[in-house]
Amino acid sequence: MEKFGAGFLEERKLVKRWSGPIPAFVSIALLFAVFYATWWIFQDPRGYMRMYTPYVGYMYCRWWLIMMIWMVYIFNYWPFKRSWLESAHPLQKGIVLTAVSVGILVLLIKGFFEGFLGNYGLAYFNPEQLEKLPGITSFFAIEYASLAILMFAAIASWLSPAWVVAFEEAPWQKMAQPAKGFSILMLTFFLSTLVYFVTMHPHMGILYHPWQYFTSIAPPYWEEFADTVSGNFHVSWIMCCTVVVWLVETIWERYPFNLIKNDWGRRFTCFFGIIGIALAMHFFFYFAQELTFGEAIRGTRRGFAPDWRWLHVGEMAIFMLVPALFLNFYFGNWPRKFSMPVNVTIRTLITIVASVLLYIAYYKTSHLFLGTQKGISHPQQFPMIPMIWLVNLMLVQHWFMDNWPGWKMVPKTAAELEAEHSAHQEQIEAVKPTPKFGLGLGAGAVMGVVFFFVTVWALPYFYQSIDLIK
Amino acid sequence: MSGQIKRRDFLKGATTGVGLGMLGAMGVYSYSPLRKQHFPETVRRMTDIGVCKSVKVTNVSETSWFENSVLMGDIKGAGGLLVNQYDYNWPPFGNGKGLGKGSYEDGMAKIKHLLPDKVDEAWDICVKNCVHPENAGGFAALVEVEEMSGKKRKFLLDTGWSYAWTHECFKREGIDKMLLNREIEALFISHEHFDHFWGLPVTLKYDPTITLYIPEGFYSEGLQYIKDCGHTGKVVTVPIGLNPHIPGMATYVFDIPIICRVYGEQSMYFNVADKGLVSVTGCCHQGIIQFAETAYKEIKYENDNFHGIYGGLHISPFDDWDPKYDDLVISLRNYDFDRIGCNHCTGVLCAKKFITAGYPVIEGTSRFRSKDKAYLGNGDVITFG
Repeated sequence: MEKFGAGFLEERKLVKRWSGPIPAFVSIALLFAVFYATWWIFQDPRGYMRMYTPYVGYMYCRWWLIMMIWMVYIFNYWPFKRSWLESAHPLQKGIVLTAVSVGILVLLIKGFFEGFLGNYGLAYFNPEQLEKLPGITSFFAIEYASLAILMFAAIASWLSPAWVVAFEEAPWQKMAQPAKGFSILMLTFFLSTLVYFVTMHPHMGILYHPWQYFTSIAPPYWEEFADTVSGNFHVSWIMCCTVVVWLVETIWERYPFNLIKNDWGRRFTCFFGIIGIALAMHFFFYFAQELTFGEAIRGTRRGFAPDWRWLHVGEMAIFMLVPALFLNFYFGNWPRKFSMPVNVTIRTLITIVASVLLYIAYYKTSHLFLGTQKGISHPQQFPMIPMIWLVNLMLVQHWFMDNWPGWKMVPKTAAELEAEHSAHQEQIEAVKPTPKFGLGLGAGAVMGVVFFFVTVWALPYFYQSIDLIK
Repeated sequence: MSGQIKRRDFLKGATTGVGLGMLGAMGVYSYSPLRKQHFPETVRRMTDIGVCKSVKVTNVSETSWFENSVLMGDIKGAGGLLVNQYDYNWPPFGNGKGLGKGSYEDGMAKIKHLLPDKVDEAWDICVKNCVHPENAGGFAALVEVEEMSGKKRKFLLDTGWSYAWTHECFKREGIDKMLLNREIEALFISHEHFDHFWGLPVTLKYDPTITLYIPEGFYSEGLQYIKDCGHTGKVVTVPIGLNPHIPGMATYVFDIPIICRVYGEQSMYFNVADKGLVSVTGCCHQGIIQFAETAYKEIKYENDNFHGIYGGLHISPFDDWDPKYDDLVISLRNYDFDRIGCNHCTGVLCAKKFITAGYPVIEGTSRFRSKDKAYLGNGDVITFG
């Protein structure tokens, strides 16, 4: 039976074309060159298409990410055959698979959201419907519709991969493609719709005057808790969920959830564990802003507004995603030689440090080359757009092009696969609940709490020592 | 060997535990009321900027553009709200190449020789080369401060956009004669935006020596424009923070990024005797609540009272809306302003929400192309004190 790309990512061996770090540097150099060229063509406010309006470019950027997740993680490259994936030149694969992902993307946005939902269900998904309202300009009609569509994308970009990472495709893991893909797609799309209605729809319901009391809860139920009526409160934790899914999948190798032997126990724990970790980030990143920028003031604008602070939580989280994927895609998930918990800890530390450096570098320099403006809280600028654009291109290079040109793909032999699975299993089984492990766990937990308070103490001083915006 | 294994087990447990402990503390503590003990207490600097007897503001023009749909159509066509304002091909920087393809250099090359004396002739050239010149208006206000001694001092806040419209408004309110007579001491530019700054030659036509106060953050084109317009007076770049000017009057520069590639905004504070603080703003991109909070932290003012507001509050300048604006409408009550004279980029929709919420909005007369009585329109006057 044709297996398409099921297991393809695990079963391919990426062989360096040159020794040492040269492949990583070559591939990353190409990545950045393509990033800048495509940024100029599609997004840059000085460039050709200028889609960074901002919401139009943001919407396409976000949904393109999901298209690739659907194609690779949910549909396992279906309908492309395994033999083609293994034999076609990476450039050919890159062009064909990217073209398909963009084709579905346009079909989804123009056909499903704007055409179907926007014309027959919720007017705010369709700019032309919005323009019929008095006082709404064409520009804001497009921006509002794009905002609604991209909010849906934010949820889907968490739930789509979460079903694969946390639920391990269950209960359809043994089903052939495309039945498996459609099953997971239907379920995650349904869940995304539910989450959308209780998080983002009330935001859209008060986007107009008067508030749409008849169709949405107004003011939204989170107002008191979040100190804002804006749906950015939800954007925040949902973005954290998106990032945590990929941390769990890449640099954490699904640790510690993979210690749970019971299948459904592991799956549920992982799914809700991702949400729990995301909520911890959601609250901590908000707190970190209070410690550095100062207390938020409801009703004000920009950097001190709670709605912007919640949005910025999601932006901070995205800064963590980029180095985590870099470490995984281009540096072989280094290090691998220690036990799984130690490897995971080192990678996490590297990711945290790299994300802080990336954050500082972004705000200090991005306005010099992205066509944007200096400043942290510009109301129309979202670092998520360039970051996700970069992630998209990394996915194209890694998933569609086997890290070309620095690497080439050869299928792993059955023996290699067996050895890899055994080694991985051994690493998991090496983490045993011994008394010493338990003692370490307790001592570590205390240290973790201490680290937290040290971080809380140090953050204001650290922030004062750097000048983000000169 | 056994000891080594035990040490390894401990290390595995410890590394896992650190993550769990850290995440647990992050989740439980970070948004709890306990976190507030880490915030520094607000220290009020109570800077004494002096006191004045009254402030009178004449709305020379609050109408920055006449049709939202036309302006937003231009913004949409040129690539959105992040495009450099000098590239839109809006007047006066038109080169005839169409929307989004303009440049400062091209535009100025066509009119520089006519500035500032022949602004009408320059505008005729702009009309031929620019995108939608008929839609350009501009923001300008005459601020008259009465000192405690009774002496009155006049300042301009901003200088409009369209040369034709600004000229018309200046004549209507007698600003041209005041400038000619050197009655107006200085021109304060709130920020570099087209609708507040690009009408500069009209002011300079009547007084090229006038002192200019611009906020820190101007881009090179803006600085060059001041020179190219024929300004011969002093240019003061006002640094970020509080800058007292005359007794009872100070400006504050906020270091904020603004749409269409502009950076920094300067707004005015007045301490009016027996009344309290009055805020006069061009666009107030920093947000009126941030402006009020800054005053609370920085300045000593009469009765510790927020008395009044005049100007644009930058809430829904394009009559767009966002739930975060509702946060402002809901929260403004906490600041208890006595009089709110809003207009311009506040947006008619927002002014109406203020009125519905019961705020003391001073309504206007809706003359001279101002669109609604819900706010102070062109030619309207408000006096504080």
